[in-house]
Amino acid sequence: MTPLDPRIHQALEGEVSRDALPPELRQEVEALERAVGQLRAAPPLPSVAARVLSEIRRPRPSPARRVGRWLAAPLALTLQVRPVWTLAVVAILAAVLLTGREPGPVLGAEEGIADFVGRFPGARSVEVVGSFNDWRPGATVLRDDNHDGVWRAALVLPSGQHQYMFVVDGERWVTDPLAGRYVDDGYGSQNAVLIVRPERGGGRR
Amino acid sequence: MRDAPDAAVVARVLGGDPEAFGVLIHRYEPELLRFAYRMLGRPDAAADAVADAFIRAYRHLAGCRDPAHLRPWLYRIVSNRCKSQLARRQRDEIPLEEAPPLADPADSDADLDRAEQLEQVEAALARLAPEQREAFVLRHVQGLSYAEMVAATGVVATTLRMRVHRAREALLAALKEFA
Repeated sequence: MTPLDPRIHQALEGEVSRDALPPELRQEVEALERAVGQLRAAPPLPSVAARVLSEIRRPRPSPARRVGRWLAAPLALTLQVRPVWTLAVVAILAAVLLTGREPGPVLGAEEGIADFVGRFPGARSVEVVGSFNDWRPGATVLRDDNHDGVWRAALVLPSGQHQYMFVVDGERWVTDPLAGRYVDDGYGSQNAVLIVRPERGGGRR
Repeated sequence: MRDAPDAAVVARVLGGDPEAFGVLIHRYEPELLRFAYRMLGRPDAAADAVADAFIRAYRHLAGCRDPAHLRPWLYRIVSNRCKSQLARRQRDEIPLEEAPPLADPADSDADLDRAEQLEQVEAALARLAPEQREAFVLRHVQGLSYAEMVAATGVVATTLRMRVHRAREALLAALKEFA
């Protein structure tokens, strides 16, 4: 996906005037504003008021009775397993039983292992946020087990291109200086780019 | 009671007047239904999500920490119901047979163009990842501020801005593809 010119975002946030934009950018802003105008006009939707009030007025069973009903109600469990994962589970069990050794991670055909390494001496915490975890701080934490200032994490990711940044001490967003490839993040900074290649034959690099 | 602030209505409900909850339903139902419809793409699914959300809100009203700002709290409950529905679906697209019908061929060319454009916009919205769709709809369609969006989603503002940006990019790209 090609990032938009930052001025388009600024215009849509009301931070700059649309009239100050060059014509080609103004067209993009107008296209999005037209789309928003159409989305704001939802078709007539049925009211739920009567339904909700009817439920509210219904006397609720006592907590003990609700627990009893919950315990007595049958619970349908649906487990969908791809055949390739079933074979993988069988392979793992066979490896454990036959060799007694703990196997490495089993990767899908289009997955690889991404190693994240950052040097942040003195940091209290380091995380990696990116397109693979929806840029969510706290989702992926790096570790510095020997306290030498070098933080690491390894993730199994789908093969392909991923963008990411490090978040140091929960507040400082840092571009990985060792990434080698970068893209503009639309905020005046750069996201590092990681290419994950499929691991043929499974196991860690 | 109809014009009373949210905190006063909540206090009345918690004080033993469940009918007063109807004031909150009438106050927030239109925007919550529109939000759920834009998230789920189906009127019946939107109605189910919003009805379920209001019932949960009533039952957990005492747990609302800031009754003076009920709006983000209600959005949060509706958003969670929408995500539960989306997670149960195989595909996040508006099924063609349930898409809003095009205008009658007897309508004017302008009406046909408008109907076709709306269909394209809705199809483009349906192609967004749920988190991006939610952020875009909350920001642009529902008009929430980023502070309200943080309260409604529990996600930090920087991440929400990123999702809105990505949603704009994806939406424009899809609209160009349909054009």
